[in-house]
Formats: sequence, structure tokens, C-alpha cells
Amino acid sequence: MFQYYFMLGLRSLRRNPALTALMVLTLAVGVAASIATLTILHVMSGDPIPHKSDRLLVPVIDNGPLAGYTAGDEPNDRQLSYRDATNLLANKVAGRSTALYGISVAVEPARKDLPLFNARGLAATSDFFNMFEVPFRYGQGWSPAEDKSAADVVVLSRKLAEKLYGDSDPVGQRLRINGQQYQITGVLDTWNVVPRFHRIIGTPDGAFGDEDELYLPFATSVRHETQRNGNSSCSGDIAPGYQAYLDSECTWIQFWFELRSARERGALQDYLNSYATEQRKLGRMQRQAPNKLYDVREWLDYMKVVGNDNKLSAWLAFGFLVLCLVNTIGLLLAKFSVRAAEVGIRRALGASRREIFQQFLIETTVIGLAGGLLGLLLAFGALALIAMQSKALTVVAHMDWQMLLLTFALSVLAAVVAGLLPTWRACQTTPALQLKSQ
Amino acid sequence: MQLHPILSALMRNKTGPLLVAVQVALSLAILANALHIVQVRQAVASRSSGIEHETDVFSLQIRHLDHRDHQAQLNEQRRETAALRAVSGVQSVSYTTQMPLSRSGNYSGLSLDRKQVTSSVSATTYYSPDSLIHTWGLQLHEGRDFQPGEVPEIDTNTSQDYPHSVIITRQLGAKLWPDSGSYLGKTVYYGTGASAKELRVVGVVARLQTPGAQITEQADFSILLPARLTGEDLSTYTLRTEPGQLDRVMKEAETALRNSSATPVITRLQSVSEMRRDRYRADQALAWMLVTVSVLLLLITASGIVGMASLWVTQRRKQIGVRRALGARRSDILRYFVTENLLITSAGVVAGVLLALALNQLLVSQLELPRLPAGYLLAGAGLLWALGVAAVYGPAWRAASISPATATRST
Repeated sequence: MFQYYFMLGLRSLRRNPALTALMVLTLAVGVAASIATLTILHVMSGDPIPHKSDRLLVPVIDNGPLAGYTAGDEPNDRQLSYRDATNLLANKVAGRSTALYGISVAVEPARKDLPLFNARGLAATSDFFNMFEVPFRYGQGWSPAEDKSAADVVVLSRKLAEKLYGDSDPVGQRLRINGQQYQITGVLDTWNVVPRFHRIIGTPDGAFGDEDELYLPFATSVRHETQRNGNSSCSGDIAPGYQAYLDSECTWIQFWFELRSARERGALQDYLNSYATEQRKLGRMQRQAPNKLYDVREWLDYMKVVGNDNKLSAWLAFGFLVLCLVNTIGLLLAKFSVRAAEVGIRRALGASRREIFQQFLIETTVIGLAGGLLGLLLAFGALALIAMQSKALTVVAHMDWQMLLLTFALSVLAAVVAGLLPTWRACQTTPALQLKSQ
Repeated sequence: MQLHPILSALMRNKTGPLLVAVQVALSLAILANALHIVQVRQAVASRSSGIEHETDVFSLQIRHLDHRDHQAQLNEQRRETAALRAVSGVQSVSYTTQMPLSRSGNYSGLSLDRKQVTSSVSATTYYSPDSLIHTWGLQLHEGRDFQPGEVPEIDTNTSQDYPHSVIITRQLGAKLWPDSGSYLGKTVYYGTGASAKELRVVGVVARLQTPGAQITEQADFSILLPARLTGEDLSTYTLRTEPGQLDRVMKEAETALRNSSATPVITRLQSVSEMRRDRYRADQALAWMLVTVSVLLLLITASGIVGMASLWVTQRRKQIGVRRALGARRSDILRYFVTENLLITSAGVVAGVLLALALNQLLVSQLELPRLPAGYLLAGAGLLWALGVAAVYGPAWRAASISPATATRST
């Protein structure tokens, strides 16, 4: 019976083409708009590293001056000073930890056909690659010993390696960066983590920017006074020169801990508190602000990675979907009401209300499927358009299987919900009255 | 025209009219809020940066690899400036530390008194030994541009020296000294505490945006400082070209700069128009999305009204025929349907206004958006009324064309 009703449904699509087209189009447009915005919201707010997002933690310590501070104020910055970063690197509580800051370097290719160029990089410690599960194509990261000795080693992104060496394995070769020779220890594979949660601060496109092109050891980068590329927050005057900058309370370093187990969070918090107390004895951190820890999800939330604009788009798109649904209800009412005669005859011939209900519901499902198909196409188009508008959104504007299925489910569900009232109305037809008026 | 028959007809069959009214209400609520947001974003994106004829201005960054001393860097900056000035089509060249709208720059606290513990305001600093006022065509509101004697040469790696004159924006002046008519000759401190640097205001420009061009009043809190700085890895020059020659001059200036250096250098060019586009890209994207949704919204609502009105006309063929046979004119039938639609739309509009206010309240509280001015509600209501009449006109005309003979037929 289902098959027969399905066929009837398909056939009825053709019976009133203008009205049907309008219904399918309305449904498709509504579904497409909400799916497109939902996809962006879904990708943006996704957990980038689900299996360890509760074990990766960012510390926020307020080292600002006491003057002008009132308890409860937000810290001036969510980064750390060089002093705190190097002190925390020596901790024994977390399994791994790393300190990061953005750098901008000049790369001098050995190939004569390539000119000098600028590269955007990240200074990090050796734990970085394991902590964030960075995929390697060739070689590996540098060793903790090389961290300690501030060795001149470098890890390249796949894109940069291909630009310099083509497809061949460059591990072990030397590359001139900022006038110094660096040995290549590894080449990453494409690392498309979305959002780029490890590095939200200090990039123009925030968590949705481009991949870093190369990685230097933190100590090496500091030793060479490599040009920083990111945000720095200083309060008060600092003496000129790089050493004075390192000694100052300026904050410019992003720090991450990785715990062996999420249960150790309390121990890490204790460690952080006792560290701050110790520093207070040295005359620092006089604000006595609470020391905070954020895991990956809390950090994304705290840094407002999902912008208000994205939420706004999604809300309005859903409002739009509701409108489309109301519209479809109206159109279905119109479509079914002219078929009262058909229902009357079928009822007179012995069809039960239940059967009529089934038939009409299947018919609306057919409309929902058609709307879903078209909506999917439109959603792809909308995402492509959105991606063209904003570079930051190109990274997120791609659809996954989950969203694809959701599109269909949403569309069919919308059609069925919209069809309930008209279908119920159609079932109310009294056969005798209907036949009499013929 | 009697409303009573229309009303009683509406009351007998409530579902259809209710659906149309709900559509109108939803459309109005979304439309008014969406258009308001678009307008707010457009207003933000079209603010003046202070640079006159932005399309003729660009920036050129140059990075040298070898580390040279203070004197060598001073000479190099002078040589590079001269090389750029010699390019044909260049009107003016200035060294600068940052560009408006470029999204990357320095901000520092300013205070009115050394005793202050917190700064009064955070402002962005443009250092230049040349005249940015001339190159960018900034409008001098009062006072004067810097004089050659006021420009110190400072090695930022070793020296704590600083210039003593400053040019501020009018908006910054108004923030620092709200009660003063003129800011000339006033003293402002760069930083706080005993080591704060004393600066005297020698000029006020009408406007100069910060690199961030924030959406708040802070977008105009900028100061110009006269100094030739060394010790940076990068040098940035900003150039103004003869009108319409930007593309050619950008290429030639880059070549001239590369040729002026004995060692290889890295250069980066960007026009102010590109910076503006990048800065407001996300706002434009949102505006486009909202406009698209609004247009679709109106189309769908109109199609809903057409659909329902057509249905009613079909259902009432017989009654219309009877009325026509009893002497009703075509205009009466037409007026009946238009009035009926106006009643439904009006109910929708009233509900829509309330819904729009509720939605706005939600957006204000959850997403920190501005409050909706009443004008948008009025305009939206007007638009939907007009849309309703236009949409119902087709079906109503068909109804009016039904011949009285229809009444005599059985179906």
C-alpha cells in the first residue's frame, strides 16, 4: 500500500505543477538557509580534539599592576609574560606543556629562482606536536634536548616544504631563515584543525585563519630575538631593548598544559595557586586575582570563537524556516481542499479515515523529499557564496555527512509537520455531503 | 463598504486567514530587524578613515635581512624615501609605523596627569618623520602640522628619548577634555606615573581612524608623533599617487625600492581600498546574507498570499456569481477581496510589530545588538501592506471577472 500511495504522491506532484513547484521551492529555500547557517555554526562550535579536550588546559594568571584594579576585573590579557611562561614550563604536574608565540621570519630559498619571502610561523616547545597531535609527513619534531640547547632547528608546514623542495623529503637539509642556517627536522602534513583552537589570540582571522608555515623552538626563537607577530599587552613603561622586554610584565605568550588524566585538574589548579603565591612574595601579582584554568571547550567559549554574527544568522534563518513552514501549510491546505471530491468518493467506497490520512501524509513526505533534494543543492550554493564573501569562513563553509543527513531529516520533518493540519482537514470530509453537492 | 459581511466570512473559516496573518507577522518581525542590522553595518563600513581620496593611497612594507646600526638605518630610510619620491605619478611619500584599517597596530594609554594610576584613554600612535597630514590629506581642524625642528631621531633599542609635540584627533580631544572648545597647547601624558612622557598638542585633525577601526568611538582615538625611529625589522611607507594611477605606481614603486637596496629585500604592498575591504568583509557578508533572506522572505509571503487568495476565489466562485447577478459591480468584488486582505494583513502587522519588538529584545540581550528604531517598524508595516494589496490584486481581479452566469451553473 505504501508503494501505491508513494506513486500516487509522485503523480499528484504533476497534477498541479505550479502549486507543487511553489511548495517544494518554499520548503527548499527555508531548509537551505537554515542548513547553511547551521553548518557554519556546527563547524565553528565543534570540538577540535574531542578525545583530549578536557585534558588540554590554558592558564590565565593576572600579572597586571595593582593600581586602578578593582577586584573582579577581567585580566588585561589572556596571555602570559615571558617570566611566567618559562617558570610554568618547569612544572612537574602536567604530562606535557608548551609555550607559544607567533613569529614572522624571512626565508631565503636555496633555489635561485625563488625570491626571498616572509613566512608566518609559531615558536613552540617540543611537546607542542604531540600535545595537539600534529600530523607529520616526513621526519618529526625536535627533541627536548634541542629545546634546552636552543638548537637551530625548524619544522615546515607541508605547503612551505612543497614550495621550497617540491615533493621530496627535505629532512636533514639546511634552510636559511633570517640570515641563520636552520636544520629541518620534520615536515607536517596538511593540518586543518577547525577551529584553530591552539592559536586564537594574535591572528587577524582568529581561530579560522591560515595554517602556520613553520615552527621554531621557543628558546631558539627568543635567542635570535625573532620578530614577534601577534598581540602584546604591556602596562607601564618598559626599558628599551629585548632583554628588558623579556624581564618585563608584558604578556605575549600563549601557554598550554596537557594532563595525563582529567582528574589531575585539581592538582594543576593547586600548583598554579601556589606558584602565584610564591610570586607574590617576590612582589609580583599584587592583584591577587583568581588563577584560572580553561579546557579546550571552555577556552573556545571564553574566547567567543563563535561570533554573535553567526548566532544571529542561524536564528534568523530558523525564523525564516518557520515562515516557510507556515507558508507550506497554507499551500497544502489549498491543494488538498480542491480534492475533497476525491476523498468523498474514496470514503464512500469504504476507505477509512486512517487510510486517507496515510495517503495524504505520504504525499506530503514526497513533497518533503523533493524539497530536501532541492534544498541540499541550494545549501551547497549558499555555502559556496558565503565562502566567497569571507576568507575566515572558507575554512568552515563545507558540509559533512551529519549535516547532509540532517538536511533531509529536517526537510521531511518540516513537510510532515506542515502537512498534519491539512491532512487532518482532508480526513474530515463527510462522504455523503461531498457526494451530494456533486 | 460594509465590513460586517467580510468579518463574518472571515470568522467562519479562520484557518486560512490566520495562516496568512502569521506569515505577515513573521515577515515583519524578521524584516524590520534584518534591515536595521544591515543599515547599522553599512553605516559602520562607510565611515571615513580620515584619508582623503582613499583610492589613491597605498602602503609599501620593506624588510631588510641584515642588521644595521642606527646611522645606517637612518640613511637607508632617507634613501628609500627619495627613491620613492622619484617615481613618476607619486604625489607624496611618508614613512609611517602603521596604517589605518590595516588591523595591525600599536595602542597605548594616555593620561592627563602624572598622578593618575590608570590611563584616561587608549589611543593608537602613528610615528612619522614626514608629513602624514600631507600624504593622507588629513583635514587640520586647528593648529599646525609638525615643523622640521620637532622631529627627533630615536633608536628604539637603546634610547628612551621621545618627541614633545603631538597632533590628536578631534574625537580624542573631546574625550580627554570634554569641556574645552580648543585643545591646542594642552598637555597630555603618554603612559602613566612618573615616567609618563609629556606631549604638547600642536594640532588637531578632524579625523583619523585607528588600524582596528573598531565599531566604538575608539575608532577615532589616534595621535600623530613626529620622530624617525630605527630598530624595527620592517619599514612601512605610505604613498599618495596622482588620481587613477594607483596600479601602475604601486608596481613601479616596488621596483624602485628593490633597486635602491644592495641586498635582497622582502616587500609587501597593499592599497587602502584593499585594507578597507578586508576590514569589513565579515560585515558585508552578514549584510548580504540578511538582504538575501529579506528578499526571499517577501517573495515567500507574497506567494503565500497569492496562493490563499486564489484558493478563496475558487471556493467562492458560486457566491461571487450570485453577488454579480444580484447587481454587484466588478469593482465591488475587487474591493471585497482587497479589503478582506487588508484586514488580514493589518492583524498580521499588529502582531508583527509586537513580535519584532520581542525579537529585538532578544537580540539586544543575547547578542549585544542595538535597539530597533520605530521607523523600521513603520517602514516594514507599510511595505507589507503594499505587498499584501499587490499580491491579492491578481486573484481579486480574476474573481471580479467571474461572469454572473456562473451562479446559474451547479458547480
